[in-house]
Amino acid sequence: MGSETLPKQFIFNEKMDKDTLYGLYTDDFPYIEEIFATTLRHFDPDFGAVQLAYENGSVEDLKKAIHKIKPTFGFMGLLETQASCKKFEDECAVAASVTDITKEYTNIKNMLLEARDIIQSEYLRLKAFNANPL
Amino acid sequence: MSLSCIIVEDLQVAADYLNRCCEKSGQLDVKGHFLAVPGALEFLNSNVVDLIFLDVEMPGATGFDLLDQIAYSPKVILTTSKPEYAFDAFEYNVTDFLKKPFTYQRFLDALKKIPSAAAEVTENTITETGVDHIFIKSDGKLIRLNNEDILYIESMGDYVKFVTGEKKYITHNTIKNLEEKVSKQSFIKVHRSFIINIDKISNIRENGLFISGKEIPISKAHKQEVLKRLNII
Repeated sequence: MGSETLPKQFIFNEKMDKDTLYGLYTDDFPYIEEIFATTLRHFDPDFGAVQLAYENGSVEDLKKAIHKIKPTFGFMGLLETQASCKKFEDECAVAASVTDITKEYTNIKNMLLEARDIIQSEYLRLKAFNANPL
Repeated sequence: MSLSCIIVEDLQVAADYLNRCCEKSGQLDVKGHFLAVPGALEFLNSNVVDLIFLDVEMPGATGFDLLDQIAYSPKVILTTSKPEYAFDAFEYNVTDFLKKPFTYQRFLDALKKIPSAAAEVTENTITETGVDHIFIKSDGKLIRLNNEDILYIESMGDYVKFVTGEKKYITHNTIKNLEEKVSKQSFIKVHRSFIINIDKISNIRENGLFISGKEIPISKAHKQEVLKRLNII
């Protein structure tokens, strides 16, 4: 009986929606690695803008900063994080000041940090996966 | 025929993804990516593109601000994560609205709504010249420009820009072709890229002239002819 070569499959972190990822990138894993790398390269400045806006007490800048970073998570298949960003953006739109949304800010900040860790970890796993041709 | 386009998008990962979609389609030639409106505006003031992939909310100015400021109307596909902009998109007559993130198939569906560049090119030409006016086709309309309102005409590659005191119009044509069509009484070619309205010159220097604050070069080949046409005492 001859052996068959099955296409390599990468199992993404359970928090990443694999249908979204395959819908966007099919199974082009080197490209997904590239996209993850780009995301990580720009994550800290974009996340920094969120933190800075909060620290400066500007609810308008906070709304803009969260709006900017929000689609990142869609591109990463982190749909729950993207939806939470949308919710937080809406909360910013009606908040009079950042003190009105302190609790929500802490939640979203933790969520973004967790998302960054997931992306980082998946990027390293993908890199190893792509480096191994077998 | 491929369409020229630019990407105006402040999120790098979204811009990279879009760029990849453009390359993959084989139908688009991406001329540039801009992270904010001012850079895109500067590019569009001296280059003509068929299509803009345009984010809405960006630092400093919105995508709609950009559309308000450019002198012509390329096709526009909005790329945003906010469906709330759909009404504005309709108002600005954009071709489609891609909600980020979008699949390649959705991207292709949007692209199918863009008429071919070839169709546009045949449409945007001068249709009639008269003694004191010309008609140009721009943005799908026939527009009458009186000679006295035109300050100068500037080449933009395969396009030309008609500059009046009020507005700029871009149409598909060449300076060489226009040289034959515009009124020789009112206009003169001063450089391979410029035809000017001779009545609008405010002053002339060694290698240039000024019209409404804009410095326009005079080439050596055209200088004698320009000086001959002026009422120099």
